Amino acid sequence: MPEKPAYSLAEDPQLVDLAKAGDMQAFEELVSRHRDRVYVRAYSIMRNEALAVDLSQNAWVKAWQRLEQFHGEASFPTWLNRIVTNLCLDELRRQKRARTDSIEAMEESTGPIENRMEMETLDPIEGLSREELRERIDAALAKLSDKHRTVIVLYEFEQLEYREIAEKMGTSIGTVMSRLFYARKRMASLLKETLKRDGLIE
Amino acid sequence: MNENEIQLKVQALVDGELTGPEAKEWRGRLETDAGLKELHARLTAVRGLMTGAELPRTLPESGDFHWSQISKAIEREERQAKHLARPASGANWLLRWVLPLAGVACLMLFLTLQQTTRPDLGISLGSDHELELSIDDLDVMTFNTGDDAMSVVWLDYSLDLQQDEMDLWLD
Repeated sequence: MPEKPAYSLAEDPQLVDLAKAGDMQAFEELVSRHRDRVYVRAYSIMRNEALAVDLSQNAWVKAWQRLEQFHGEASFPTWLNRIVTNLCLDELRRQKRARTDSIEAMEESTGPIENRMEMETLDPIEGLSREELRERIDAALAKLSDKHRTVIVLYEFEQLEYREIAEKMGTSIGTVMSRLFYARKRMASLLKETLKRDGLIE
Repeated sequence: MNENEIQLKVQALVDGELTGPEAKEWRGRLETDAGLKELHARLTAVRGLMTGAELPRTLPESGDFHWSQISKAIEREERQAKHLARPASGANWLLRWVLPLAGVACLMLFLTLQQTTRPDLGISLGSDHELELSIDDLDVMTFNTGDDAMSVVWLDYSLDLQQDEMDLWLD
């Protein structure tokens, strides 16, 4: 009887090969390793816990179904994040919420609002741990519109290029650049506000 | 180039999206324009803060439960895929082949009968009517009616094939 592989010791590529051959236990090990990362990406875009969990699960199901298409050009977690990102973008398109984002409405009807905002100066912040800064950044991200948050998440966290973001969002590179610029201005403004309030900067 | 386009070019420079001569040109412009240089510095600072700043999170449900949901969904989808790909069952086979063939057969029968149906003469047969068929020449039919003092002779090339049926029809 062949020896059962030690899944927990196997590298991702080995587990992927086993999963491609139909080994569900190998796939379960991959889920166990990367489930948080997939969830984080879904949450960063959707900002909704239940929806992020559902989309994460869907991403894993899709990953299982498309394993044959994974040839290792990128790492397995990167490939997974692309799947969950696409599902999130599909979900955002589906939602077509009735709520109109006033900033986006202004931007699209009267021209770029960013021209009327100054880019805040954000010097390295002393006395703030990386973890504390991350929490403040996370809170600021939550205040952005879906479109602006998605662009900045895809650029800064998913590390996609302008062109790739434009393709995924079904828009032009110019629009991506404009949204990214506005998102950064807004992030700088929100961060400065919170840091001032906490007495961390003057 | 308007102010907005200039800002986006500076941002593209910060993001490394400008290359070659264009990047060189914009780096040169930063050296001579204090406003652009300041914008470049501010964008660089925001980028620096955002790099690697995604807040780590833990899935808000147990790993076992999460996996059970995933594995159930996979099984469900595979079952559905198999169901769709399964060869046709007896009932499906019947629907796919026998019924269309039966339909074609019925159509053929109908067309055949149409060809051999007698023309309607518009005459109602009474007890005093008689129909004569010549034995030697089956394609000749004679009809006599005493009421109207009329005889009709009907020649039909297909009659020889339908004699029995005609007998029944007239009975």
